[in-house]
Amino acid sequence: MEFRLRPARDLGLAPGERLRSHAREAGLGSLALRSLWRGGVGAYLRLAHRLEVTGQQNLPAEPPFILIANHCSHLDTLALGSILQGEAGRRAHALAAGDVFFRTGATALFAAYAVNALPVWRKRTRAGEIATLRERLVEDRLVYILFPEGTRSRDGAMAPFQPGIGTLVAGLPVPVVPCRLEGCHAAWPAERRLPRPGKVRLAIGRPLDFAGLPNARAGWVEAASACEAAVKALG
Amino acid sequence: MSTAFAHPVTVWIVGATLGLLLLAAAVIGLLSATGRASPALQRELWLRLGSWCILLPLMLGPVLLGRVWTIGAVTLLGLACLREYDRATGLFREYLIVGVVVLGILLVNFAALDHWYGFFVALWPLTVGVIAIASLPLDRPSGYVQRTALGIFAFMLFGAGLAHLGYMANDPGYRPIVLLLLTAVALNDVAAFTFGKLIGGRKLLPATSPNKTLSGALGALVTTSVVVALLAGAIFADTPMGHPALLLLFGAIVSIAGQCGDLMLSSIKRDLGIKDMGVLLPGHGGVLDRFNSLLLVAPAAFHFIGYYVGFGLAGPTRLITGGG
Repeated sequence: MEFRLRPARDLGLAPGERLRSHAREAGLGSLALRSLWRGGVGAYLRLAHRLEVTGQQNLPAEPPFILIANHCSHLDTLALGSILQGEAGRRAHALAAGDVFFRTGATALFAAYAVNALPVWRKRTRAGEIATLRERLVEDRLVYILFPEGTRSRDGAMAPFQPGIGTLVAGLPVPVVPCRLEGCHAAWPAERRLPRPGKVRLAIGRPLDFAGLPNARAGWVEAASACEAAVKALG
Repeated sequence: MSTAFAHPVTVWIVGATLGLLLLAAAVIGLLSATGRASPALQRELWLRLGSWCILLPLMLGPVLLGRVWTIGAVTLLGLACLREYDRATGLFREYLIVGVVVLGILLVNFAALDHWYGFFVALWPLTVGVIAIASLPLDRPSGYVQRTALGIFAFMLFGAGLAHLGYMANDPGYRPIVLLLLTAVALNDVAAFTFGKLIGGRKLLPATSPNKTLSGALGALVTTSVVVALLAGAIFADTPMGHPALLLLFGAIVSIAGQCGDLMLSSIKRDLGIKDMGVLLPGHGGVLDRFNSLLLVAPAAFHFIGYYVGFGLAGPTRLITGGG
């Protein structure tokens, strides 16, 4: 027996700074708020979108893992988040565009407390931030939800995957679960302010393993194209 | 209003506190105007004073407003302390244990609000028991002693211990007593700092807290004991506690428990390798950095007064649950 006292990674950060930090760790209060939000979202997806999930058996039994999918709507994050139960649900972070979700204090509060999002600053992500995300994924046994296309598709067609997903997983023993969403674009396209009811289907594929890839450019690109192929194959 | 300020000690303490704030503002203003303090020091001093201007109404206000406000404020203080402590120690990752401690804090303050002493004291062993068994169903023995110990320590300090301060409000004459304790621990800190700076000399416990000196500790002991004895003399004059020796002993207990609370938090921070427990109060650190001295003073003062005088013994009990 040995005491291992590990202060919160975000200890000492000012409140605003903490909201936007990759080191943010949720306590009981955040967890309670998020449970309420998740309960509401789950009911909404069932009622308004008759969410249909296939391939649930492909989800790893426990964290860490990464969920990826095609991206054309804000509904995507909600749908992927809703399939995670128990420990995986508590440890799930959506990687969200910093310039959209963390721009103002109010949106950052919502993103941090309801969605448990971590910001990704597109086109100016620093190596240190990727390193923190990789370290936390394994040490804190997290689940990341992310969309490798980098932005919502404006016409519903899937765009090529960015190598960013590769920088997170290449060389790590963390499975990547490919998912395919259908119906989200029709229900809530990027140009609409609010969603409208409509059927949404979510197919979960078999996990991919990138532990053997080098954590370098070649490995990142290879991982990204393997992810893209796996998501396409579910369509 | 007339009830809130019914006792002269209440008037003295609130008056002295306001006077000190004005004096501090005048001194800092003078230092700034004459350029005797560097801009960095000026900023630090104003920041500290600003924090006090927000903190003091939050501390003294509920006590003056009434029983329910006082107990409510103590509950919030306990929860705020728990939040800082669990994030600093890593206990926050154990949602189940933290949940039980939160429930314990709420219940023990409810018992105070209900004026139900039996439940109030029963909650200490009962909550400890629940903390000890809460994580058993997880079937995760690794880390059991650590999470259970951290949970019990938290409940003792921020629940069972601190709630004594709120329980005092069940006595119609609680205002001067609670105000005396709140201000005495602050005076204790200031006196230790001042005597330490003026006299210096041997360090008290250098590995625990490198800035504290023996002269500061003794200076604070003498100052706080005398000031508390004088004010407590005006509160407890016609009671069995009215004897000068008892009043001085009471003052000494407040001073020693206050300083021990401070050293206890220093030990926790040293062990964790952190400087401040939080960032909530500019110039002070976290809530715990400010209220550490109160944690041990509340139960010690309660039981000392309880032994000689008692709290709210004549008043109605079990106000909410009935059956009293």
